[in-house]
Amino acid sequence: MIRTLLYLLAGVLLGGIIHIAVILALPTFASRDIWTKITALNAENRIEILPEVPPGAPNPFGLDPELVYAVCQLNISEAPAEVSGVLPDGFWSLSVVNPAGVVVYSTTNRDGIGQNLDLGIFNPTQTRLLAEQELDVADGLLIVESRDDEVFIAVRLHPPYPAMRGRYRDALAGLTCGNIQ
Amino acid sequence: MRFVLHLLATVAVALAVGFGLSWFALTDGRLFGAFQFGPWASWPQAGSHTPDPYTRAHLARDGRLQLGQSEGLQFTATADSQGQPLTRNCRYRLTGRTPVASFWTLVAVDAEGVNIARPDAEAALNSARISRQPDGTLLVYIGKTLSPQNWLEITGEGPFALSLTLYDTAVFGGLGPSVDAMPAIEREACL
Repeated sequence: MIRTLLYLLAGVLLGGIIHIAVILALPTFASRDIWTKITALNAENRIEILPEVPPGAPNPFGLDPELVYAVCQLNISEAPAEVSGVLPDGFWSLSVVNPAGVVVYSTTNRDGIGQNLDLGIFNPTQTRLLAEQELDVADGLLIVESRDDEVFIAVRLHPPYPAMRGRYRDALAGLTCGNIQ
Repeated sequence: MRFVLHLLATVAVALAVGFGLSWFALTDGRLFGAFQFGPWASWPQAGSHTPDPYTRAHLARDGRLQLGQSEGLQFTATADSQGQPLTRNCRYRLTGRTPVASFWTLVAVDAEGVNIARPDAEAALNSARISRQPDGTLLVYIGKTLSPQNWLEITGEGPFALSLTLYDTAVFGGLGPSVDAMPAIEREACL
């Protein structure tokens, strides 16, 4: 009896190890993660407006029907990148996401930026060159440092009324996104 | 023979505990990375730049666009305040207050995350466009039957979930009404 209980206890301990291994390994083996879905959009160095999701339709990105979304995938291994443009009055927010799906930086228009979006994404080496004044960037550029060379940015914009969605979507499409030459 | 049986039992227990616990942790999460208040659950570290391992696994499995910590926070409820699963045959009443946020949206979704609002009705309720009670509190009806004031009209059969997304919120910032101001979900008549 005691021997059986010891075997079962060993099973529980082994189960705990399997659980930890599954939790730690899952991000490496996930195939339906956000990075895979964004890569499938071919939105490298350009703004892609995510399509509207009407009620009843699949919503793989988990989009809020009240907002309009833009994404842009960037590779900053060769040169830093910049996202810029002017957005209409209303709430907007921006996040920088790495291949693991982790939001490495996020901000909103309430953080004193207002309607002008001008964000530079630099890796640690480029940030050091910037500090040593070896890189020349425009004044007023908000610098974000990313440890990953590959990231995507997601911009959310909130049209106050449904009738304004088209105009707000056009404003999002007018953003520029790409490496700084 | 006995040794083999013991070994098989050990392996069976290990697999059941290992994979069962992982599935539970990432589906429900309330004992692990998720924050629970009443019927509402959220992964507060989902928008953090240093998420814990459970949140990282949740992000990989979830595969949806996450809100950064300064952008907002999403809460999901799959049961009412009494703990009974939300079902589309019943009408529900959302009452009370929400934590401080620039605005919030309320969406009803099925298990796959598909919006179940009636196609030619409002796809979501937006805090900027709802009527409030004289004392400023919330009164929202969710269901298939005609309802007064703020009505999120849904379609179909079976269970569903409510998604409350707070944008630009100070919910974990310690300022103003915090997460204990989440609205109650009360079940009304069922068909």
